[in-house]
Amino acid sequence: MGNEDDNRSLSFINTPTPTNAGFLERGRRIKMAAEMGLVESSRGRHWSRALRSRLLPRKGNSACGCKEEGTTPSKVAEDLVGEDGDDEVMEIERRLRALQKLVPGGEDLAMDQLFEETADYIEALQGQVNVMRALASLLDGLEKEKRLMRG
Amino acid sequence: MEPTRSSGAGSGNSGTYTPEIAESLRFEEEIQSLMHPSLEPPPASDGGSSFTALLGLPANQAVELLHEPESDDSLAVAAAKASGREMWRFRLRDPKALTLPSGCSPTFPSNAALVERAARLSVFAAEDSPEAASVPSHSGDRSPKPKAEPADSDSQPICPIPGERPQRLAKRKEADKGNKVKGPAKKTKSAEEGSAKGAEENTSGEKLPYVHVRARRGQATDSHSLAERARREKINARMKLLQELVPGCSKISGTALVLDEIINHVQSLQRQVEVLSMRLAAVNPRIDFSGLDSFLSAECGRVTVGNGRGGGGMEQSAWMEATVVNGGRRQPQQQQQQQQIWHVDLVHPHPTPPVWERVDSPHLIINPGTSLFGYDPSNSVVSLHSNQLKTEL
Repeated sequence: MGNEDDNRSLSFINTPTPTNAGFLERGRRIKMAAEMGLVESSRGRHWSRALRSRLLPRKGNSACGCKEEGTTPSKVAEDLVGEDGDDEVMEIERRLRALQKLVPGGEDLAMDQLFEETADYIEALQGQVNVMRALASLLDGLEKEKRLMRG
Repeated sequence: MEPTRSSGAGSGNSGTYTPEIAESLRFEEEIQSLMHPSLEPPPASDGGSSFTALLGLPANQAVELLHEPESDDSLAVAAAKASGREMWRFRLRDPKALTLPSGCSPTFPSNAALVERAARLSVFAAEDSPEAASVPSHSGDRSPKPKAEPADSDSQPICPIPGERPQRLAKRKEADKGNKVKGPAKKTKSAEEGSAKGAEENTSGEKLPYVHVRARRGQATDSHSLAERARREKINARMKLLQELVPGCSKISGTALVLDEIINHVQSLQRQVEVLSMRLAAVNPRIDFSGLDSFLSAECGRVTVGNGRGGGGMEQSAWMEATVVNGGRRQPQQQQQQQQIWHVDLVHPHPTPPVWERVDSPHLIINPGTSLFGYDPSNSVVSLHSNQLKTEL
């Protein structure tokens, strides 16, 4: 199972920081935890692996089997969109490149795979946002109730 | 049927199919290069992807190279090769003369079944109406095969098949001979040579998918555009999927604008994650996860293996809450009575609406019997239900 991985992924969050660690620092850790949540929710995906290696400090990444070691940026859209006028193709290519930068691990991907990963990434992001929003309102509600209880 | 099938094959099998389809389409391109009188010299073949390279090599080496790529459909490889030969017949009407260097006679490990498949591929690719007319007469005995053969080839190597097919092959080849203009002798001879060899060849572990692409009426049917069209269809299918995901994208027409919307959506989602993480940091409880370790070891596997997103949602919240712990997780003692301490026992979701029971005033303890995300105090707005989360996600 991935228990060791899970514990490892959690452990870096739990370096003891008391409440006075600072609001920003805590926010950053929470964001890292959120991204780890993203990673763990869609484990087999290319973007998940790329995000994970971005988040976790690992030594010696050469062992991991990266499929394509950085597609040259021109390779993304070229052979497929050769039909339009050059301007349109360049427009599309520009957007494709922007999308590549947004999706973790997107630089290696060509158009069709990029779209696939984007779709999965969007779904995972949406799920993560839902969870975080629910959790935030939950905590807010609890805090409000605690305050009410005290007073 | 065929176009949808090809695009279906592309979009249906998301991850695993892509490289295989790409390879089969590459074969089509290589077939195209066969059409031209000048065969390019075999470049250093990279993983057997260069079809013309195979032609240039002696038969043994070609067979070796053919065995390299892993493929579900072992027939597809030689089928692609054989289809090249078949397509020559169709193309012979073209003004460009086809000169096949005799030295490079394609003795491939194809057998009768492969040649038939090749014929089918070329059938699909055929543009001329006489060809299309002659071919449907054979399509009768071939049409069941597209379904049968993938099932065949998926499970078995080529070897068992030659026994069944030779008669049918003979029939088809004779009929085709009647239609062909030039050079049938060369083709059938090489095909027979190939089928003879095919019996010996054991393409074990060869996996190449086989994409049926039917050329629509009035469209170019050379293998280049076929491959391109298949890829384009696949990409369009993916793009449509993305459009459905992104709200408000279905109305927009035009690739660039749709991509714009997609990019905006991804950016907004990422920004939301940031904002929410800041918001969570602003909340100031202390959560003690003394029960979390056991939960993770027991439940994690189940949660991850089960519903991908919904279970993931639960896990995400687990990670989320762990961050708010501030080191409390590793410390068994419960201090800071001023602050709230939540013992969260994250149990596998319970179908009944869960209840968080409060035992001590500063503490909020959830009993093991209840599931997480069930919080229904009197004045709380939030009622999180794990199932609810699942459906949302």
